[in-house]
Amino acid sequence: MKTTAVFSAFVSLLSFASAAGASSKKSSASSDSSSTSTTLPATFKPPQVFKNANLVHVISLEKNYVKENINVLVENIDKAPQDEYFVPFTADQMSRLGGVEVKDRKDASAGPFVAEPVEFDQESDIQYLRIRLPKPLAPGAQQTLGISYYLLKAYKPLPASIKQEEQQYLTFSFSAYCSSAYTTTKQKTEVKFPSGNIPDYTKLPGSGDVSEFPQKQGSKLIYGPFDEKPAGAAQPVSVRFEFTKPVTHVSRLERDIEVSHWGGNVAFEERYTLYHRGANLSSLFNRVKWQQAQYYHPTTFALKELKFPLRVGSVDAYYTDVIGNVSTSHFRTNKREALLEIKPRYPVFGGWKFPFTIGWNSDAKNFLRKTATGGFVLNVPFLEGPRQPEGVEYEQVQLRVILPEGAENVRYHTSIPPSSITEAGIEIHKTFLDTLGRTALVIRARNLVDDFRDRDLVVAYDYPLLASLRKPLVVFASAVAVFVVAWIVGNVELKFDSPKK
Amino acid sequence: MRLLATVLSLVALLGAGPGGALAASAAAAGTKKSAEERFQLYHGKALSSAPIKLGDATYRELTAVPRDYAVAVLLTAMDSRYGCQLCREFQPEWGLLARSWTHGDKKGESRIVYATLDFTDGRDIFMSLGLQTAPVLYFFPPTVGPHAPASPEPIRYDFTGGAQAAEQVHSWIARHLPDRPHPPIRRPINWMRWIVTFVALSGGLTVSYVAWPYVLPVIQNRTVWAAVTLISILLFTSGHMFNHIRNVPYVAPDGRGGISYFAGGFQNQYGLETQIVAAMYGILALAGITLAIKVPRISDPKTQAVALFAWASVLFIVYSFLLSVFRRKNGGYPFSLPPFM
Amino acid sequence: MSADLLQVLASAGKGKGTRSLLRVIILALIAGAAVSSRLFSVIRFESIIHEFDPWFNFRATKYLVANGFYKFWDWFDDRTWHPLGRVTGGTLYPGLMVTSGVIYHALRALTIPVDIRNICVLLAPGFSGLTAIAAYLLTNEMTPSSSAGLLAALFVGIAPGYISRSVAGSYDNEAIAIFLLVFTFYLWIKALKQGSMLWGALCALFYGYMVASWGGYAFITCLLPLHAFVLICMGRYSTRLYVAYTTWYALGTLASMQIPFVGFLPVKTSEHMPALGIFGFLQLLAFLDYVRSAIPSRQFQTFLWLFAGATFGLGLLGLVIATSAGFIAPWSGRFYSLWDTGYAKIHIPIIASVSEHQPTAWPAFFFDLNMLIWLFPVGVYLCFQELADEHVFIVVYALFGSYFAGVMVRLMLTLTPVVCVAAAIAVSTLLDAYLNAKSPNPEEVQALESSEGKRAVKSGLRSTSKPVVGVYGLWGKGMVVGAMVVYLLVFVLHCTWVTSNAYSSPSVVLASRLPDGSQHIIDDYREAYQWLRQNTREDAKIMSWWDYGYQIGGMADRPTLVDNNTWNNTHIATVGKAMSSREEVSYPIMRQHEVDYVLVVFGGLLGYSGDDINKFLWMVRIAEGIWPDEVSERAFFTPRGEYRVDAEATETMKNSLMYKMSYYNYNNLFPPGQAVDRMRGARLPEVGPTLNTLEEAFTSENWIIRIYKVKDLDNLGRDHASAAAFDRGHKKKKATKKRGPRLLRVE
Repeated sequence: MKTTAVFSAFVSLLSFASAAGASSKKSSASSDSSSTSTTLPATFKPPQVFKNANLVHVISLEKNYVKENINVLVENIDKAPQDEYFVPFTADQMSRLGGVEVKDRKDASAGPFVAEPVEFDQESDIQYLRIRLPKPLAPGAQQTLGISYYLLKAYKPLPASIKQEEQQYLTFSFSAYCSSAYTTTKQKTEVKFPSGNIPDYTKLPGSGDVSEFPQKQGSKLIYGPFDEKPAGAAQPVSVRFEFTKPVTHVSRLERDIEVSHWGGNVAFEERYTLYHRGANLSSLFNRVKWQQAQYYHPTTFALKELKFPLRVGSVDAYYTDVIGNVSTSHFRTNKREALLEIKPRYPVFGGWKFPFTIGWNSDAKNFLRKTATGGFVLNVPFLEGPRQPEGVEYEQVQLRVILPEGAENVRYHTSIPPSSITEAGIEIHKTFLDTLGRTALVIRARNLVDDFRDRDLVVAYDYPLLASLRKPLVVFASAVAVFVVAWIVGNVELKFDSPKK
Repeated sequence: MRLLATVLSLVALLGAGPGGALAASAAAAGTKKSAEERFQLYHGKALSSAPIKLGDATYRELTAVPRDYAVAVLLTAMDSRYGCQLCREFQPEWGLLARSWTHGDKKGESRIVYATLDFTDGRDIFMSLGLQTAPVLYFFPPTVGPHAPASPEPIRYDFTGGAQAAEQVHSWIARHLPDRPHPPIRRPINWMRWIVTFVALSGGLTVSYVAWPYVLPVIQNRTVWAAVTLISILLFTSGHMFNHIRNVPYVAPDGRGGISYFAGGFQNQYGLETQIVAAMYGILALAGITLAIKVPRISDPKTQAVALFAWASVLFIVYSFLLSVFRRKNGGYPFSLPPFM
Repeated sequence: MSADLLQVLASAGKGKGTRSLLRVIILALIAGAAVSSRLFSVIRFESIIHEFDPWFNFRATKYLVANGFYKFWDWFDDRTWHPLGRVTGGTLYPGLMVTSGVIYHALRALTIPVDIRNICVLLAPGFSGLTAIAAYLLTNEMTPSSSAGLLAALFVGIAPGYISRSVAGSYDNEAIAIFLLVFTFYLWIKALKQGSMLWGALCALFYGYMVASWGGYAFITCLLPLHAFVLICMGRYSTRLYVAYTTWYALGTLASMQIPFVGFLPVKTSEHMPALGIFGFLQLLAFLDYVRSAIPSRQFQTFLWLFAGATFGLGLLGLVIATSAGFIAPWSGRFYSLWDTGYAKIHIPIIASVSEHQPTAWPAFFFDLNMLIWLFPVGVYLCFQELADEHVFIVVYALFGSYFAGVMVRLMLTLTPVVCVAAAIAVSTLLDAYLNAKSPNPEEVQALESSEGKRAVKSGLRSTSKPVVGVYGLWGKGMVVGAMVVYLLVFVLHCTWVTSNAYSSPSVVLASRLPDGSQHIIDDYREAYQWLRQNTREDAKIMSWWDYGYQIGGMADRPTLVDNNTWNNTHIATVGKAMSSREEVSYPIMRQHEVDYVLVVFGGLLGYSGDDINKFLWMVRIAEGIWPDEVSERAFFTPRGEYRVDAEATETMKNSLMYKMSYYNYNNLFPPGQAVDRMRGARLPEVGPTLNTLEEAFTSENWIIRIYKVKDLDNLGRDHASAAAFDRGHKKKKATKKRGPRLLRVE
């Protein structure tokens, strides 16, 4: 079965014929991993061929996930041209790392560089991310890399449990020196906070004109600039800041997109497993206080509402959970917007859980195009989570595009960072009187955040006329068969009746 | 429990409750005989006629502390003036219990005395106990001796749920007299009833045997059976069983002196009401039967026309009345037919 | 237009084929109407399981679908009746679950992705369509005119008495049982008329299905023998009767004994004895019949008949003796309470406490049957005309059905089919008489008269002795037919109105109207259950009154102490005691039963009548039944015999756990001294109750559901009262500090 690297721009994945036989995610997954991370010896150390001339490390804690941005000016200090730049992470960070994107700060045209985790010794605490420069960097030459990535499950509430009307504080610890595999000449780390309320943070002895780090500017803390630090230098630092907003964490999102040619309809369904990772309640939920709080100081760290801005033209949205429809939802739709506002059955506090399901329909022609060659191209957003001021993080995402029965030669392309996609494959999905079952493209991704909502997913496939006619024929034939049988049985029954009495 | 009007008027000052009564009686009993003597005395009386009828003085003496025996006193109002239904219903049961218990242990091992205090004999006691209702059954546990419980306070038996059978009271008392003999209740065999039933049975048999040839056609008459069936069906479907079970009043006075035939509300009804409804059903059914069977069989066109018209209109009017009645029972019922809109 | 339509219909009416085609179409339409008239709740709310018992059936069905039949058959459920558990597989009627399980798998085989919940919700309406058809068949056995059958189908389809238990979402045994009831009766009549073993066996088959589906099967078990007995007494004994009855009894009893829950009851309990007795009696009669046919002698026959009667009497006597000696269990509570109507109230308060076991007032009859209620006697009377075996059946059924319906509200269900059949016969007779276009002309009538006059019409009703001449004059016909049409229209309107207003709310979700008339959904139950399901331990034990046991099991998926399967009175009484005693008494009980959370339903804020304070007295009574010394109903009534919750409430009431849990923290919702219970219209005392051994865990949006967590033992070893007092003590000081400025008093 032919499977080329999933990360090349346009992957022709499995042709339908072969998919029927060998459409196991397993195989495709293995092929993925083999193609992505090349295994290295356990004693691997990145060659000291680069030096970070200047490095600015921006950590933004405004959302309930951490967005880090490393802008580094790298210089090749080796004789030979080099094209592999390594970024070290701890194994723990690696597991929570997502949405890695690397580009050249100078020319955006250079496009996203390939960044993939290097797989060597699983036990080792240091894991590396390898960045392949599109063209090797000549000796002595410099290049500005902008490395941006996200860290999920980054905070711990402190105190761990509070009263329901109190304010919530989170802590985050990191290293004041940006962890790098190379010597860093000059660097500074700046941390952005949602508000200026930062009760305590680690102080460091200053250098140069600054008496002590960090300097506080409004809702910002700036460590550095520091002078030259060796490779792998670290200075643990931790900050504690107010975050009286829900720390929403979606541990698993299952998103189904079902395309129906006969109905001319695309149906979306999303199943969320939602947690609140913030502070727990020290004393159990008190309705009186809650109702009073609604009037007096409505800012709370409980999750009260989720807003889903859907694509214009979405219709008949629904919102249910395991015991049926949830009546507390609004769906306002008009020319310009289709906004689905849902409330959980109960305010979700720290440590609480609320799994739910939403879904909606949309006219196929908003997403589906017929190409000149007779194929079809489906263009849907990869992720359409809620849009919250405090942000949402997704640990596991499974996207399932269910194409009509008999669709073949499925190819797809998406603009979310390839390193987030763990596996992709073709499955067979049987519903509504299917005989062969429908072709379903399944993509699994990890560690995404709501910044990636509305990134595109383009699926191209062929759908021959015969396949579209199969079901009506089958149904008609079976109905006829049933009638014939019924008729025969009827006659038989009469004969069976007559002798007695 | 019925309220005693007279007692209400009498008991202006509320007694201090049984406790107070005890305090008072203790003083009275100081000069009197010892507990043992009293028990023997009253047990003797009881043997002759249980339960003992008490007056004010005897009551105080019997229930005086200290006592090493238990006393069960029924405070009742048998006089017809007070119209205490419950008292009269319970009296025979009480007597039966007292008799069979007392004769059950002649030697008085269970050390309990059954007594009755009628309101006419013991107004003062009723007042001092602040009783406004009757009957009331007090159980005075022994205050001294091996069986004395922690609190000497008398225990009150509540008559919620109407008159109790002797067995229930028996078990109640038995619960309060642990590890002492509990003589069972012996209901006397009602010879009279047996005889009557026997005679009636034999008589019925003979009569039926004699009258068989005359009765037979009636039994085999289909119309009779039809009538019986229909009547019982009408009874059941008009909620007769409800009356029987809930024993609802036949009619109830409305506020303005008159009587209201129809109970308000969906879930209750009066006896008369159900009969009216049954009658309406009956008329409707009759009209239906006549229209279905009789009218087409009338050979003379004139009579047929008249009958048809009459019955059809009866059907229509009664049905509309039925609807209006139902609308009264069930507010917000939208449908109705003329003339009773 | 309509004219030629009539033409077409008339011409269509001619051919037999077209007639049957029309009939099929009409039946299909009626079934459609029956189904669609039950969908109000789905349209108004959603596809949701209703009320209480259905939630258990739903849960059991899911278990069956998930684990297969054999696991289901010996399913021991340790998540109910903690710590006892329940042998669910052996203590339920599996028919309902198996039915929907089969449907589910069939649809799956067709790769139709239908949710098991939707099958359960729509099962009852679907079967009601079948019931209509069964009623059609049954009625056709009664009368030659086929219009009666169609009318009966229509009546059964939309009669509220049946709709009340079969709207979409009321997924209860009755949902399929009524169809089985009617169809079994149809098969019985068929077997009796033809004296055919085949039909008898079919009857037994469906009887077995019925037994597997509903406890009400005893109704059939008693009715068929009764019918047979009446026939015998009427001297209608025949081989047909013999064949039909014996086949049914032998096979049916065997079939019924296959159900674990029934087991050997058919040979042990008295409610099955009539069937057995008649079976033996029939054998005897058959024998005598044979002998009589062999030896033709008048006296001998009479002797034989006496002999038969004597044996029957002896058998009866023996039965009585066996019962009193205890070889045969006497009538079990539920059945017994049907005969001795006062019995349940005294001895089985649990049965008496259920609202649907109350007697029926006449408005309920009219509400559920409207005009059928007076057409019913007409139909029964018509059955007396030519009193064939099947008509006897109708009469017997009518009598007993109406008696039972009068005694118990829920048995209205078993009455409804016969009412519909009888009424249909009546209406069709009326219409047949008044709808034929040709009037008789007097001369022929006279001729007929004279001819009829000769031969005396004997037997039958006096009223039918004269011959039928028909109705003269169109206007008379027009009047009667017009009136009938009006009545029928009113009937349809009534049914629709009743269904949509009374029987279509899934008591799980409450609907209220906002000032602007729009519907507002009150969803507190599911809010609280979902909270329990998501935010408590998987095996947290929930204590609540038994009404909510099934819902907690189904929606919150948590173990409960008691539920609606009230098989263990003592356990229920224990919960009742815990609810109605002081905290110091309740806490040990709750600890002993490992209770983690206590759930109460409180309607005070919303004016919701079905709450626990209103059910409280039953808890007290049931507890008192077991612990008469510790719980006394008297103590919950004020000296003036009132049941109050305000300041005048008795101390016992105020200290009871239920009272405290209901009103805990409630008065903080109002300005001081303004707290009002909207349900009971009572002004509550200034200071609310205090809880020491429990802490409020969750309260739903409208306060309907309140959940409390049972505190663990105090880790300083104090008892909870002092511990709580200690905490409060601090608060008190703070409170006293910020008191308003004192008023200057001027002497």
